[in-house]
Amino acid sequence: MNALHRRTFLKQAGLSAATLPFITGLPSLGLAAPARPRQRLVFMFSPNGTIPAAYWPDATGTDFQLKEIMTPLAAFKDRMLVLNGVHNKVRGDGDSHMRGMSCLLTGIELFPGNIMGGGGAPAGWASGISIDQEIKNYLQSKDDTRTRFGSLEFGVGVTDRADPWTRMSYAGANKPIAPISDPYQMYEKLYGQMKDKENLQSVLDTVKGDLQKVGKLISAQDRRLLEEHQALVRQMEKEIATAKDQKLRTAPPALGEGVADQNDNLPRLSRMQIDLLVNSFVNDMARVATLQFTKSVGGARMNWLDIKEGHHALSHEDKDEAVAAKLVKINQWFAGELAYLVQKLASTPEPGGEGMMLDNTLIVWTNELGRGSSHTLDNIPFLLVGGAPGFSMGRSLKLDKVAHNRLHLALAHAMGHRLETFGKASLCEGGPLKLTAA
Amino acid sequence: MVASKKCRWFVALPSGLLLVSLWLTSPASAAPFSLFSRKPDGPAIYKQQCAKCHGPAGQGVKGKYNDPLVGDWSTEKLTRYIAKTMPEDKPGSCTGPNADAVARYIHDTFYSRAAQAKTQPARVELVRLTNRQHLLAVADLFRAGEEPKVTPGKGLAAVGYKSRTIRREDKALERNDGKIEFDFGKNRPEWAGEGTNGFALNWTGSVLPDESGDYEFVVKTANGVRLWVNNDEQPLIDGSVSSFKGVEHTATLRLIGGRAYPLRLEFFKTSRDPLANVTLLWQPPHGARQVIPARNLAPERAAATFIIATPFPADDSSVGYERGVSVSKEWDEAVTHVAIEVATYVAKNLDRLTRSKASDKDRAAKVETFCAELVAKAFRRPLTDEQKNLFVTLPLHSAAKPEDGVKRVVLLTLKSPRFLYLGIEGVQSDDFTIAERLSFGLWDSLPDAALTKAAVEGKLRTREQVTEQARRMLADARTRGKMQYFLHHWLQMNHIEDLTKDPSLFPGFTPEIISDLRTSLNLFLDDVVWTESSDYRRLLLEDDFFVNTRLAQFYGITSNATEDFVRVQLDPKQRSGVITHPYLLAAFSYNKSSSPIHRGVFLTRNIVGRALRPPPIAVAFKDGDFKPGMSMREKITELTRSQACQSCHSVINPLGFSLENFDAVGRFRDKDDNRPINAAADYTTDDGGIVRLKGARDVAEFAVKSEHAHNAFIEQLFSQVVKQPMPAYGPDVLNQLRLSFVQSGYNVQKLLVDIVTVSALQGTAKLASTTK
Repeated sequence: MNALHRRTFLKQAGLSAATLPFITGLPSLGLAAPARPRQRLVFMFSPNGTIPAAYWPDATGTDFQLKEIMTPLAAFKDRMLVLNGVHNKVRGDGDSHMRGMSCLLTGIELFPGNIMGGGGAPAGWASGISIDQEIKNYLQSKDDTRTRFGSLEFGVGVTDRADPWTRMSYAGANKPIAPISDPYQMYEKLYGQMKDKENLQSVLDTVKGDLQKVGKLISAQDRRLLEEHQALVRQMEKEIATAKDQKLRTAPPALGEGVADQNDNLPRLSRMQIDLLVNSFVNDMARVATLQFTKSVGGARMNWLDIKEGHHALSHEDKDEAVAAKLVKINQWFAGELAYLVQKLASTPEPGGEGMMLDNTLIVWTNELGRGSSHTLDNIPFLLVGGAPGFSMGRSLKLDKVAHNRLHLALAHAMGHRLETFGKASLCEGGPLKLTAA
Repeated sequence: MVASKKCRWFVALPSGLLLVSLWLTSPASAAPFSLFSRKPDGPAIYKQQCAKCHGPAGQGVKGKYNDPLVGDWSTEKLTRYIAKTMPEDKPGSCTGPNADAVARYIHDTFYSRAAQAKTQPARVELVRLTNRQHLLAVADLFRAGEEPKVTPGKGLAAVGYKSRTIRREDKALERNDGKIEFDFGKNRPEWAGEGTNGFALNWTGSVLPDESGDYEFVVKTANGVRLWVNNDEQPLIDGSVSSFKGVEHTATLRLIGGRAYPLRLEFFKTSRDPLANVTLLWQPPHGARQVIPARNLAPERAAATFIIATPFPADDSSVGYERGVSVSKEWDEAVTHVAIEVATYVAKNLDRLTRSKASDKDRAAKVETFCAELVAKAFRRPLTDEQKNLFVTLPLHSAAKPEDGVKRVVLLTLKSPRFLYLGIEGVQSDDFTIAERLSFGLWDSLPDAALTKAAVEGKLRTREQVTEQARRMLADARTRGKMQYFLHHWLQMNHIEDLTKDPSLFPGFTPEIISDLRTSLNLFLDDVVWTESSDYRRLLLEDDFFVNTRLAQFYGITSNATEDFVRVQLDPKQRSGVITHPYLLAAFSYNKSSSPIHRGVFLTRNIVGRALRPPPIAVAFKDGDFKPGMSMREKITELTRSQACQSCHSVINPLGFSLENFDAVGRFRDKDDNRPINAAADYTTDDGGIVRLKGARDVAEFAVKSEHAHNAFIEQLFSQVVKQPMPAYGPDVLNQLRLSFVQSGYNVQKLLVDIVTVSALQGTAKLASTTK
């Protein structure tokens, strides 16, 4: 072994114990089958719009041909639902990329704020919860669907900047959730050892008491911050208690060592994250996940495809034939990563149930824009793969300029959460999209 | 009383970020006069004509005019604007004394900065440590009192052996090597003499990174190597097994800039290796992979620094500087990870840290003493008996194993609000509060032993004592780190990710050139700020830059440049300080061409200190939209021709055009696509005056004389240092800081001391003046 990454080094230095604890014991076998099949939902994001001509199938219905970008998914054509005509109709403050990103899963306007983009008024965070978190909260509120994390937010090459361009998941208004881009950190979150759990547990009471005492020393105006902090400590106590009860169904995946979070490692990071994602599903740690490739306006340089320019810069010039060809390659690469995820789920038996995991997992591949050069939020490339109640797969549909909020409603219903509106209520007119075959 | 028509009014804001458009509604003839006086009644005019849309206190009205009415125009300018454009349905009907009265009322009641300060008094908020502060505070928690002195620039200390195994009797060489880049080929180096048992080299010393971030260390060799960095026990790279063809070993390590870390590289060639070569490289953050230069190496060994590996979610920086005003689940998890990381480190190194062994009789007492010192250091104040019991004695005794007891102490300490928040004893400031403000202001970290001693002895009571401490602390490398942090924010260098240009237009503008440029700029900034005069004006006016051979070649500089950077005088007609540094010129450019807008916005906000509101309409620059043969200046002029654009671009464009003599990689040019460059333009100052700018130097000359520019610089330094709103420190702080700044000959170090003194003494005015 030649390369020794700092994390490897820290692990050898004893840091493997230095993680949020939670999981002990060996993989356990034979958890009882759930009363009804577990239903899961994944949002996969890639940035900068698509190349419409190389993406949208010409035909509708069940008899359609995949265009270039989707060819990596050919084997799963009958598990796919291509949704043309879904628009992000949320308007208001923020430039197209910002709204494209931060309104994508929230379906609601951004707050006015002080982040200025390349157009529009300056904006802040989204003013509402995102659909993945809404569904997660619903699942977590029920005994039979509650899992340790509820949802997991994976990132691949998301930059270390918190702004409306980099966040799509929101725990609520003004509460963006940072995806975890570092697979080692995600690994620790999922499988960190238990050694220090007891120690941590033993001090939390004192920490709470200390916070309370300190709260008395400061002004009422400042106390709010400490109260929020106290709530977090209580939440951590609860999480530790939950983790105690949980056992592993399958061993954690073996991650390659020393893969730094940098551009040229994106292919490896992507696979590591997808492996962790599937693994966490097998162990039923969460029923909802997001997988965010870079960020809106993401400028990944796909040297591994022999493309030297950044993705975003290219996306502005998609009318140029040579540039368009590169963008097709880039989007094909994302499709390939999706195919890897789908393939894994398609070949893993549903734990404690029937069929394969893909049967009960719906993956939504989406984007902040319809097209890079026009910055349109119309015809967002929504591709669904897998299975969920109420979704008849193996079809290509052309919908009539429907608001994407209605797709979110349909997804919520499929997950058992019978929302009447989501996000901006006026965009929910017509209710959930009907995606069963007539 | 209903407006039939609406017109828009844009008002500049102090922060320069928010869009403010003002709607005025009024009947044409309703300008109210007091019955008993001819003097127009400003409040009455406002109430009748403006309040409907702007709210009774200018706070805005939802659905009409949403934004608060705040900005930095003078009363005169407001008056002119109102007279010209208001009321909206009949511009020109509220003029003369009426316009003047209502403008005065608006300005003095809620619009101006002074008025805002009166209506919403700013305060020093409770804040948690920022991520940078967290990282540095943990590192300094384990810092020894005295750091070994190192002399960067001399490279590493080398010891050569004439056999592959390191035996004292085989020692054949002692020298310093500036850099580690050796190709011995098939032969033995001369000093190794004749022999058949290979040879070996050991390099030791320190490595000194310029900036904070992840460093990838690379060793290329056809032989055996092992590399240790910042950890004497565990090699970062273990390449004992070699490949004859040559191998590249890489490993990444997080380092804090401006500090020294111990480094050791062992190299050995066995008799069977056909070739012998070794190169030690790194890829710094924002930099290209390169042989580690001598100026980042020192032959003396520094002490190791404990650097946490846990990543944090980004801090809130919505007001222009990072500050700890919010907590989140991700943050709490990161804090917990750090606590566990540190606990593990302490438990593992307990012998060394407590200077005791498990078998020692007084082990328990030593552990307890160590813990009590650690907690007091983390909390920045002595512990009360009650606290000592709670944070040290109880947790130590609650666990079966001493290691677990120590871990509990650390977990408790690093999760405690007393570590995580600043100014926690907020109600009354004492000596320790002042010490904390000084060290976090200058270092973003814990007080050192000397500062704590001063607090204990009550020697931080007067302004002079505080200033003296601050001056002492300036000499510490941590202040340089903080200054660099500020300068990088000021020049927006912290956000620069990618400077690559179209290779067909700018061949040779390689990642190495980009990396060299950043180094060149860093050296320049350090050189200006850390000389005695520390003159802010030199940052803008200096005409000599640091270049190495690679840069000299690319930029056509004929000089005696060497492989390392040297100062080279350039044509003062061409270059003038940071604004003409190619690194920034390239950063504020497009892929294929210069960008007068990016450059102009940067100059407007960061250098001349003007407020800008965001563009009212979004217009993208697309080169293909213009007739071929147009100069960039002509294109931008056409693009921003409309009235809506001009309100800001009349300021932005002249500043941006002044740098048109520099192409997208910062080379000086006379022509843009065969059209002669015209870098001259008329710049409208904030009070409406016109200044003719003929080029970059004129902008710099203008800025160094402009009060606005000085204020902007002071405010930005204050924000980065104190991380609290300046008005919370009194209405006159900016003014006083500026006067002192001017008086000192624009001494940046002095300004830093002034700022940190103001913040340290906040709320202790009585204390400071009575004991003076």
